[in-house]
Amino acid sequence: MDSKKLILVDDEEGIRRFLGLTLVDLGYTVKTAENGQAALELLKTFTPSIILTDIKMPMMDGIELLKTVKLQSPEIEVIMLTGHGDLDLAIESLKFDAADFITKPINDKVLEISLERTLEKIQMKSKLREYTVNLERLVDEKTQRIVELERQNAACQVIEGLSGALTSASNEMESGSGLFNELPCLVSIHNRYLEIVSANQLLKDRLGDVVGLNSFDIYSDRTSAGNACPVQKTFETGKGQRSKETFLTKDGEEIPVTVYTAPIANKEGEIELVLDISVDMTELQRLKDELLTTQHKFERLFDESPCYISVQNKDFTIAEVNRRFKEDFEDITGSHCYKTYKRSNEPCVECPVKLTFGDGESHQMETVVTTKKGEQKNVLVWSSPIRDAYGNINQVMEMSTDITEIRRLQDHLTSLGFMLGSMSHGVKGMLTALDGGIYRLESGLRKNDQDRIDSATKALKSTVNRVKKMVLDILYYAKSRELEMETVDASSFLTDTASLVAIKAKNAGVTFIQDIPDNLGPIKIDSSAMSATLVNFLENGVDACENPIERKDYSLSFSAARSDNNLVIKITDTGMGMDQETANKIFTLFFSSKGKKGTGIGLFISNQTIEKHNGKILVDSELGKGTSFTITIPCNI
Amino acid sequence: MSKKILIVDDDQEIRSYLSELFGDNGYETVTAEDGKIATEVAEKENPDLITLDLEMPNEWGPRFYRKLSQNEKLKRTPVIVISGLNANQYAIPKAIATLTKPFDADQLIAIVKETIG
Repeated sequence: MDSKKLILVDDEEGIRRFLGLTLVDLGYTVKTAENGQAALELLKTFTPSIILTDIKMPMMDGIELLKTVKLQSPEIEVIMLTGHGDLDLAIESLKFDAADFITKPINDKVLEISLERTLEKIQMKSKLREYTVNLERLVDEKTQRIVELERQNAACQVIEGLSGALTSASNEMESGSGLFNELPCLVSIHNRYLEIVSANQLLKDRLGDVVGLNSFDIYSDRTSAGNACPVQKTFETGKGQRSKETFLTKDGEEIPVTVYTAPIANKEGEIELVLDISVDMTELQRLKDELLTTQHKFERLFDESPCYISVQNKDFTIAEVNRRFKEDFEDITGSHCYKTYKRSNEPCVECPVKLTFGDGESHQMETVVTTKKGEQKNVLVWSSPIRDAYGNINQVMEMSTDITEIRRLQDHLTSLGFMLGSMSHGVKGMLTALDGGIYRLESGLRKNDQDRIDSATKALKSTVNRVKKMVLDILYYAKSRELEMETVDASSFLTDTASLVAIKAKNAGVTFIQDIPDNLGPIKIDSSAMSATLVNFLENGVDACENPIERKDYSLSFSAARSDNNLVIKITDTGMGMDQETANKIFTLFFSSKGKKGTGIGLFISNQTIEKHNGKILVDSELGKGTSFTITIPCNI
Repeated sequence: MSKKILIVDDDQEIRSYLSELFGDNGYETVTAEDGKIATEVAEKENPDLITLDLEMPNEWGPRFYRKLSQNEKLKRTPVIVISGLNANQYAIPKAIATLTKPFDADQLIAIVKETIG
């Protein structure tokens, strides 16, 4: 703005002309107006820095003009010209922001100073305005810079965070540990310039070191940007993609993959990176196969384990059993183990499964169970908790190992140990009885007492028989006799054997029923050992009938049949029978239910003889109703 | 009047032997095949001496002896243990003698004579 422009407003023509010239001399461009109204009109076309105005004017006086100008253009300074007597008005005009006032008659020097002062004011104002404007702009600028800095800072943090994550991710990848590398997937991270930033070890192994390559380079069928590889699509759409693609390995092979991509956004929501997780379909198939193999292995292990395994629920019902369990016991999934194991309606006193549910520890128990075929088995029961993902025990696995053989061996050894004690006691009694017999015989002879001699002879014979039987039994047990196998006719062999017992049965008043067909065919056995064994069972049958609980008609039946290549012999008595506990022990050495009459060796040896023939004995007995032995021997022909 | 001996043993042969042995030496005998029967017989017969086997069915020797020693009438009756068990001398410490089967008949008779005459 030209600061030397000026409007002079006065109603007196002379003042306008005279003063105007003075002002022009002072270097001003001057326009004149005769009243306020005219001055305002002039302002529309001419913008001065200063207005010099008389106060008293027709139409619109100076005060009014001042007010209007200050309202319209506050930057124009107004100097008031006053005559005598309007000093009050002049002072009032200052209230309306007049720059100065000059009294008439106008002193040139005063006018010049006033104008200079006003111009100075204008300049200062202008500077101030400029400064204010600058300041605002500066504040804006600074603010913008601060905002920008903050934004950059935030972006930096995001990038730092991301790069930290990426570093740890790539460290994981490089160190071969961590999630990325454990994933059976090809994992890569891509930036917005479609460059591969990082990749896991598996991907590097398969595709080579691809870090720094273009995102599309890893695909076999994409050679340039702009062909919408999954990574690029993700950057464009902001959404994860899933598609089937083909990767090119470092050896030039193509591998089918399913590509999953996920965008990684920064703080502003812009996608910084894209995570590409690709699943090698061939790898997946391999893993599936492996899983299936493992499952099969586990199932085989479960089924083929040399023990009976059942998985039991919290209510002690059976959830699952293995094949061996099903082979030897009734599969009673949903019911209780003691029903099939023990034919009992009560759980065992120290049920290891119950203990395991209680304390989460493994427990052991040894017991005797009965198979569905009636075989007695010593088992070692071991329980183990099955925990879910939260560590709660929802099921317990119960494994029963068949230790019948071990127990048998142990029995054998233990038996040998206490054999001496047990035997010596029996032998001592017999020796005393022999002493007694001899004493009675001697004294009878001395006194010539025939009754005493007869009685002593009978006692001696009986005692000698007892000694003989015991010694023979012990010898049989002590000496592991080799079988002398020969082929015999099964029917004749069994009939001959039966005849050895017939008289004893008759004397005991037991009906002896024989059912031996004459077409059983040949069998290869040690006939003397087997005959002794069968006689043992038959005689036991007779003995069982000799200890009646109540008098009734007792019978012993001896039957045989051929089944496949086996001879199946059944010996059933209707005698006193045995409880389960006794039945469990009958084949134990030195176990006898006959008191002084039994040595506890007979059935032990019988059992061994049958086992040596690869045969089997099943016992089915009920107290008060009788016992049934089923002996199965292979014919070996 | 001859002295009476109660023979307690589950083996019939040994009961017969002891009966004759004691009879030949001038004693009267009664027998019992287990501890339970022995108690009844002892109550009834009031024997002067008892020979006792240890291992018997139903009620064995030591149990019988415990009952005997609680019986006012019988508790002073001398007992000779005749058993095939090892370490049987510990079973009945108050027995006047403990013989192991097969025992020496002369030794037994000597002990009996010394005890009851």
